[in-house]
Amino acid sequence: MGPLDAPALKMAWLNLQRNRLRTGLATLGIVIGVVAIAAIGITGTALQYGATQELGGLSNTVTVFPGEENEDGVITDPQVDSIERVATGAVVAPQRTETMEVASRSERRQVTVEAVSRPAALYDAAEGTIPTPMRSGALLNAEVAAELGVELGQTVSIGGRSYRIIAILDEPGGFGQGVSVVIPLDDVERDGYDQVTVVAADGEDAQRLAAEIPAELNQREEVVGTFTPADIQESVSGFFATLNAALLGVGSISLLVAGVSILNVMLMSVVERRAEIGVFRAVGIRRWEVMRMIVAEAALLGIVGGLVGVALSVLIGYTVNGQLHGQPMLVFQPRNLEFLALGFGFAVLASTLSGIYPAWKASTANPVEALRG
Amino acid sequence: MTHRNHDPATDGGAGPVAELDDVTKKYRSGGETIAALSAVDFAVEPGEMVAVIGPSGSGKSTLLNVLGLLDVPTSGTVRLDGDDVTGYDDEARTMARRRTIGFVFQSFHLVPMLTATENVLVPTMFVKGDQTARARALLERLGLGDRLDHRPDQLSGGQRQRVAIARALVNEPRLLLADEPTGNLDRDTGRRILDEFERISTEEEVGVVAVTHDELVTEFTHRTVELVDGVIQ
Repeated sequence: MGPLDAPALKMAWLNLQRNRLRTGLATLGIVIGVVAIAAIGITGTALQYGATQELGGLSNTVTVFPGEENEDGVITDPQVDSIERVATGAVVAPQRTETMEVASRSERRQVTVEAVSRPAALYDAAEGTIPTPMRSGALLNAEVAAELGVELGQTVSIGGRSYRIIAILDEPGGFGQGVSVVIPLDDVERDGYDQVTVVAADGEDAQRLAAEIPAELNQREEVVGTFTPADIQESVSGFFATLNAALLGVGSISLLVAGVSILNVMLMSVVERRAEIGVFRAVGIRRWEVMRMIVAEAALLGIVGGLVGVALSVLIGYTVNGQLHGQPMLVFQPRNLEFLALGFGFAVLASTLSGIYPAWKASTANPVEALRG
Repeated sequence: MTHRNHDPATDGGAGPVAELDDVTKKYRSGGETIAALSAVDFAVEPGEMVAVIGPSGSGKSTLLNVLGLLDVPTSGTVRLDGDDVTGYDDEARTMARRRTIGFVFQSFHLVPMLTATENVLVPTMFVKGDQTARARALLERLGLGDRLDHRPDQLSGGQRQRVAIARALVNEPRLLLADEPTGNLDRDTGRRILDEFERISTEEEVGVVAVTHDELVTEFTHRTVELVDGVIQ
C-alpha cells in the first residue's frame, strides 16, 4: 500500500476542502513555482529556436578578411590558394566589394556591389537561377529591384556596364547577408580580394577552418583574420544554456518557497485538527495510517498545483511560440516536455516532502494530550 | 492474582474484559511528581456497567486512559481479555484498541466533513472489508435511521452523541469507555443515551466504564467506583 491508497486519499481530499481559501493559496504557490520552471524554460527554448533559425543559414561559413598587419589591405591570389589547400572540399569564394552606380531607365542608386565568382554557394534565388560559375548577368535583391522598377530578365546598368538580371535574391536569412547587388567577380578589375567566404560542411567544420586558416596564413604576420557565425551560434547556445540554468534556479527556489508555505499550512492545519487526530488514534488508527493521510494531503496539493501549473505553462508556451515563430505546436517539442515534467515532478516532490514533518508530528502526538486540549 | 473490589453484576464465567492490577500512574508537573493513580485495582466484567465518580483531578480520566490503552502506567499491570498488555508498544496498543475497545468522548469529536455513516466508519477506515451495512444498522438501532447521510453540523447534540456511540461500537468492542457521556446533553437525552449503554452492556456482553460527574449515570450502572486523589475509596 502506497501513501496514496484510497482511504488516506479520500480523507486528504476532504480535509483540503475544509478551508478552500487556504488550500487555494497553497496551491497557487505551487502553480507559480511550476510556471517559473516550465514556462520560462519553454520561452527560453522558443527564443533559442528563433536565434538559431536566424543564424542557421550562415553558421557553416567562414569569412576571411585582410588582417591588421596586411599592408596591401587585400587578400592575394596566393593566399586564396593557401586557403583552398587548408579548406579541402569546401567552397572557397573570393569577393570584391565596391560602391557603384546602379541605374534603370528611370532610377539610379549608389549601391554596394559584391563581385563573386560562385554566388550560388552563398546566396539563394527567389526568382530565376544562379549559375555556377557566374560569368555574366547580375543578381539583385528584391528591394533594389523594386526601387529601380526592374524585374527578372530586364536590363540594368551597373558602373556603366549593362547587365541582364538573371535572378532576384531571396530575403537574407539573418544578419550579415544584406547583399544588394551581385555581379561576376572579374567585372571588378582589381588586384586581390576584399574578403573570401569559405562554405564548410557544418558549423563545427567552420569553427575548425576559422582557426586553421589563420594558423596557415599568418605564420609571420597577421595578414588575414577570420570570422564565423558558428562562433556566435555557439556563444548564443552557451548564453541560453546559462540563462536557462539561472532561470531554472529561480524556478526551483520559488518551488522551495512554495514547499515551505505548504509546510506551514500543513502544520497549522494539523494543530487545528489535533483533537480529531487524537480521536483517530484512540479508535485504533495507526501512526503510519495517520501519516499517510497527511502526506497524501500535501502530495495532493502538489499534484493539483502541478497540473494547473503545467496547463498554464503549455498555454504560455503555445502563445509565445505562436507569436515568435507562428508555430504554436513547437511547445510540444521534447525539450519542453522535459521542462514540464521537471516542473511537475519538482512540485509533487517539494509538496510531499513538506508534508512529512507535519504528518510525523501529528502521528506521534500523544492522543491523551490531543484529546484533553 | 486478581483483586476484585466489587462483585461483577453478571457471571459470564469468563474473566474480566479489562483489569488494572496495582496500577500507579505518576505525572511530573512543575518539578513535582503527582500520582494520578495510586495502587489501583480495578476490573470490569463483560456485560457489566461501571460508573467512576470523583472530584475533578481525582484521576478518573487517567483511569480511563490507562484502561483504554491510551496511556501506560508507571507501575502495575494492565490486562485486556486476560492478556498482559502493559508492555505493548504503540503499534500493539493501537491494534488492541482497534479490536477490543470503543471510546465515547465527552465532546463527541466527530469529523465535520464526514456524514454520520462515514463518521461511524472511521475506525474501520484502514481495515479491509466494507462495514457500511453494520454502520447503518447501528445508526438505525440508535434511532438515527433518517440521519444517515447528515453531517455533524446538521445534527443535534444528542444525535451527535449517538453517532459517537455507534462509532465506538462499529468494531464490535468488548469494552466501551465513556468520558462524561451525558455531560453535554439535557436530562432526557442523557437518559436515552444511558438506556442505550445499558442495552449494549447486557445484550452484547460489553463491559462499560463511564467516568462521570452526573448522578444520573449512577442510576443506570451496576456499581459505582469513587476515586479520590488517585485512590479507590
